[in-house]
Amino acid sequence: MLLGSSMSSIAETSVPVVPRRLPAASSWTLTIAVAVALAALLPLGFVLWATVATGWETAFQLIFRQRVGDLMVNTVLLVVFTIPVCAMLAVSLAWLTERSDLPGARLWSWLAVAPLAVPAFVHSYAWIGLWPGLHGLSGGVAISVVAYFPFLYLPVSAAFRLLDPALEDQAASLGLAPFAVFRRVVLPQLRLALCGGALLIGLHLLAEYGLYAMIRFDTFTTAILDQFQSTYNGVAAHMLALVLVLCCFVLLGLEAGLRGRRRYARLGPGVARRPKITKLGRWKYFCLLLPLVVAAFSLGIPALTLGRWLIAGGAGIWRMDEIGLALWQTLVICLIGGIATTAAAVPIAWLSVRRPTRASRFLEGCYYLASSMPGVVVALALVTVTVRVMLPLYQTVATIVLAYVVMFLPRALVSLRASIAQVPVELEQAAASLGRSPGNALWATTVRLAAPGAAAGVALASLGIMNELTATQMLAPNGTRTLAMAFWALTGEIDYAGAAPYALLMVVFSMPLTWLLYSQSKKIAGR
Amino acid sequence: MKTSSTLPAGIAALAFSVLALSTPASAQVADSITIYNAQHEGLTKEWVDAFTEETGIVVTVRNGSDLEFANQIVQEGANSPADVFLTENSPAMALVDGKGLFEPVDQVTLDQVPEQFRPANGHWIGIAARSTVFAYDKTKLSADKLPKSMLDLAKPEWKGRWAASPSGADFQAIVGALLQLKGEEATAEWLKGMKENFTAYRGNSTAMKAVNAGQTEGALIYHYYYFGDQAKTGENSGNVSLHYFKNQDPGAFVSISGGGILASSKHKEQAQAFLKWVTGKGGQAVLRDGTSYEYAVGKGEASNKALVPLADLQAPKVEASTLNNAKVTDMMTAAGLL
Amino acid sequence: MTLLQLTSLRKHYGAVAALDGVGLSVAAGSRTAIVGPSGCGKTTLLRLVAGFDQPDAGSIVFGGRVLVDGAFQVPAHKRGIGIVSQDGCLFPHLTVAQNIGFGMEAERAVKEASAAELMDMVGLDRAMLSRKPDQLSGGQQQRVALARALARKPRLMLLDEPFSALDTGLRAATRKAVTDVLTAAGITTLLVTHDQAEALAFADQVAVMRAGRFAQVGSPREVYSRPVDPATAAFLGEAIVLPAAVAGGRAESPLGVLPVDDAAYRGSAEIMLRPEQISVTGGGGNGVSGTIAEISFCGPTSDVRIALGGTDISIRLDIPSREALAAGDQVTIGVSGKAHLFRQ
Repeated sequence: MLLGSSMSSIAETSVPVVPRRLPAASSWTLTIAVAVALAALLPLGFVLWATVATGWETAFQLIFRQRVGDLMVNTVLLVVFTIPVCAMLAVSLAWLTERSDLPGARLWSWLAVAPLAVPAFVHSYAWIGLWPGLHGLSGGVAISVVAYFPFLYLPVSAAFRLLDPALEDQAASLGLAPFAVFRRVVLPQLRLALCGGALLIGLHLLAEYGLYAMIRFDTFTTAILDQFQSTYNGVAAHMLALVLVLCCFVLLGLEAGLRGRRRYARLGPGVARRPKITKLGRWKYFCLLLPLVVAAFSLGIPALTLGRWLIAGGAGIWRMDEIGLALWQTLVICLIGGIATTAAAVPIAWLSVRRPTRASRFLEGCYYLASSMPGVVVALALVTVTVRVMLPLYQTVATIVLAYVVMFLPRALVSLRASIAQVPVELEQAAASLGRSPGNALWATTVRLAAPGAAAGVALASLGIMNELTATQMLAPNGTRTLAMAFWALTGEIDYAGAAPYALLMVVFSMPLTWLLYSQSKKIAGR
Repeated sequence: MKTSSTLPAGIAALAFSVLALSTPASAQVADSITIYNAQHEGLTKEWVDAFTEETGIVVTVRNGSDLEFANQIVQEGANSPADVFLTENSPAMALVDGKGLFEPVDQVTLDQVPEQFRPANGHWIGIAARSTVFAYDKTKLSADKLPKSMLDLAKPEWKGRWAASPSGADFQAIVGALLQLKGEEATAEWLKGMKENFTAYRGNSTAMKAVNAGQTEGALIYHYYYFGDQAKTGENSGNVSLHYFKNQDPGAFVSISGGGILASSKHKEQAQAFLKWVTGKGGQAVLRDGTSYEYAVGKGEASNKALVPLADLQAPKVEASTLNNAKVTDMMTAAGLL
Repeated sequence: MTLLQLTSLRKHYGAVAALDGVGLSVAAGSRTAIVGPSGCGKTTLLRLVAGFDQPDAGSIVFGGRVLVDGAFQVPAHKRGIGIVSQDGCLFPHLTVAQNIGFGMEAERAVKEASAAELMDMVGLDRAMLSRKPDQLSGGQQQRVALARALARKPRLMLLDEPFSALDTGLRAATRKAVTDVLTAAGITTLLVTHDQAEALAFADQVAVMRAGRFAQVGSPREVYSRPVDPATAAFLGEAIVLPAAVAGGRAESPLGVLPVDDAAYRGSAEIMLRPEQISVTGGGGNGVSGTIAEISFCGPTSDVRIALGGTDISIRLDIPSREALAAGDQVTIGVSGKAHLFRQ
């Protein structure tokens, strides 16, 4: 969901210097950007409003109770165990695929990204297919690691490609043994990528529902859903949402603190040498074990379980009318959501490239902040606001699309911004000199030329929407049933075979989009 | 003026198309109803498909859970898009009725169901029933080691030995019955013991699956999960046997699934037709012959032959229309179960 | 005393030979420059000495210790050889002080004190110690890089085109500062550069490299005045190469009869003169006469091509721009000093 924010930290360094001469201000761009930001910040506002409306005494009672404490312990342990394991795994894999002569490095590199094509709750489904008793913290950590480590692998491997190998040579000449070079020179330069990826994973851990619900591991998100199913948008759910949002803020603050202000740009004009490739020698086959084991757990298990259920279910599970309808509804909602998200990102993307003022940076920050909020909080806010204030929007496609815009806008923003930055501003000025209004000039030049970036933005947002379960479940219009919802309903009735076709379809449709993500990360790193 | 900006126009057009799409489908067709369905999706689908075929009335179903919908309907008030509300248990019905949001059910329809399966005020009606059971691992527990009463499960000797799905409306209905039968103090005590003793699973089928896999010795669930699985492959219930508490024990509670028509409905005629159909021959036959294994409640309607007859269950007398779920969730929240 | 001895070093990248049997002796305390066009293999040679790459064949002995011999290889971090590279290669995530202290094994206080001393040594303000590298100018970065390498008190310092990224003005000043520091510290230095003037000015031994081999090794004056072949001559500066008949230390050439630096040779050969040996005067006088075929004015000098009288040979050289000379004018060409003879 928050893929954008980590990718942006890579993208920002590659965006060319912004031209000093700026086109005339167009106030409507700013107006729309502000309006979208306000809508995006709605969930946060809701949480604050709910707290105030609840009253301090009740709020206090509902927050400082045993259950919240248990959930907090679960959440902290989950984050504390999962992120370091993911980081170690991602750094090891990235080093092996980028810096060693590991046989088939490119294949392993792709296989390390491919688990993203499998929705987190399908990972869970696959694991309990093999180990039905799997539950609790250990299960949660294990599945989270295989489902989310690619979020760290992507930026870390890109960072490895961008590192200047001359620095490592230099460190060796200053008397550092290879491991010390890694620790004192390589790792510090991976810090940005590590922080960004870790934050992304942390926020996913807080927001995920299906993965943990399936293996009976309670987090704030599952507890909110439980409350929602018992009381709709009751006060207890609102207070859990408040605590969840505070957890997100803690993660955001930690990341900002650890990342620091500085970028480690390459110094001097020299051209980076090709990276140093370490020869593994007789360790080669031992090292192959790591990507092999990772792929076995992250791809092999889903493939095995899915295959098993598909075979066991036979032709009977392919109820084409239901599957076809769910597929059609999913594709329609993905397309509408993807286009709306990208359209909503156009004004701020243009502003942040062409008019990089403090105000536009602040606005952009609002989008990232809003999209860090878990889907369950966004949905809870929109349910409450639409049912109480904006009734005409209640249970409409517009509401769920708004939720998707809030959740996935950074994905579209990153793609758009990179492509707008590549369109020279002179083209817009030329169009203006030929008599077009600023808006028209923008449409006729930059928007047209940035179309590939916009298409990528639509694709990335759609990928998120396709596999989104929490908010979709809570906000979907009457009669809507997406692949994810159908899958979830069937697994709830422990009809694992019946759920298999839906899981398969989600994976198949996610593959090309995951490939896009993979190739985009290669491009960002200049390869 | 040619200089009008195309981009905002485009965005506006998109916004409009989204809004146009967003009007609920049911509102556009006169002869159609929207159901908030908390019953099992499969059962409701069987009902809806047969009903539409017979009457031509189009039905849009939104799936969810009992109390989610009950609270939702209360919040939606007069603007609820729902025409019919179907539940698995009575407390959700009582909640909506308490706010005066139900339209009385037609007398013809009420007459199809015996009095013990509907509230006296006739604001909603029973459409099916389910019995509380203790599903246990027959390889581990013999008959003499089974709990005599559901209340025993809160005793220390059952620590770590049983499971339930506390977030579900099913279990909350059972607690509601306990509350009505034994009072607040005893219920709070029992919930406290339960928190110590039980393992939480999500969903009754999952809890039964855990019993079957030997992860826990027993689970407090409803009867039909067992029969449903037995009718399929039995892979999740091969080691499972059902224990009926009987003796008017709180654990012998029979829960009534309800159906009601919203006062705010603009399709009351079609909604009445639906409830009449569900509680009549056609709807009750689906219970008897289908794969739901819930008890039929229509006068003179037989349940599935595989089930222990409803009359033999020695269920305690519980007034369905006053089951208080708000109190139950508060108490369960206080006990740390939610 | 020889500090560094390279013997028959070879290094191939695929089918391309970057180094094709290179040998070199570097005396302790000396300054050696390796100069050659880009792609000649000079940087590869430096990387082999530093230990960043491994040669296919050959040996490196440093201070009596074998660093490389066949498959045997001492890793870079155990060689104790300092290097300053083209762009300084400062660690972007560390401050200036941390950069300088990076290779030192000492307590924090000792590190800080030595960092401050080293800043004085390389002529930088101590106030810069707390800055990050991206807050320094290119010349300052190079000085910090030098300080960082000096901090380990290496016996040999490798300089990999360390001045080439600097502006022309800064370049000479930085070079002078670096040379002074290294001389004062008595550190043997190996400089790699493509700039022949820099090499000649810096070193007391110059190795001219071409296509993976040393064309010539010698003192700056020697390689400049007595290059081994016309290509080496041309690489190190403007050269006027003429055919001549040589006997008894004299050459008969289009510029008249000139003394040559090889008394023994007899026969026809090519001789070389540097432009500074030639004077051009308008009208009559002592020397060979010629006609100005082309002339273009370049401020203080003018670039002229002079057709030599009685031959079809012309020479091209820069002359001081004095009185107006024009194409077609007659000039007299005088030569001072000995011509250099290329033996064939």
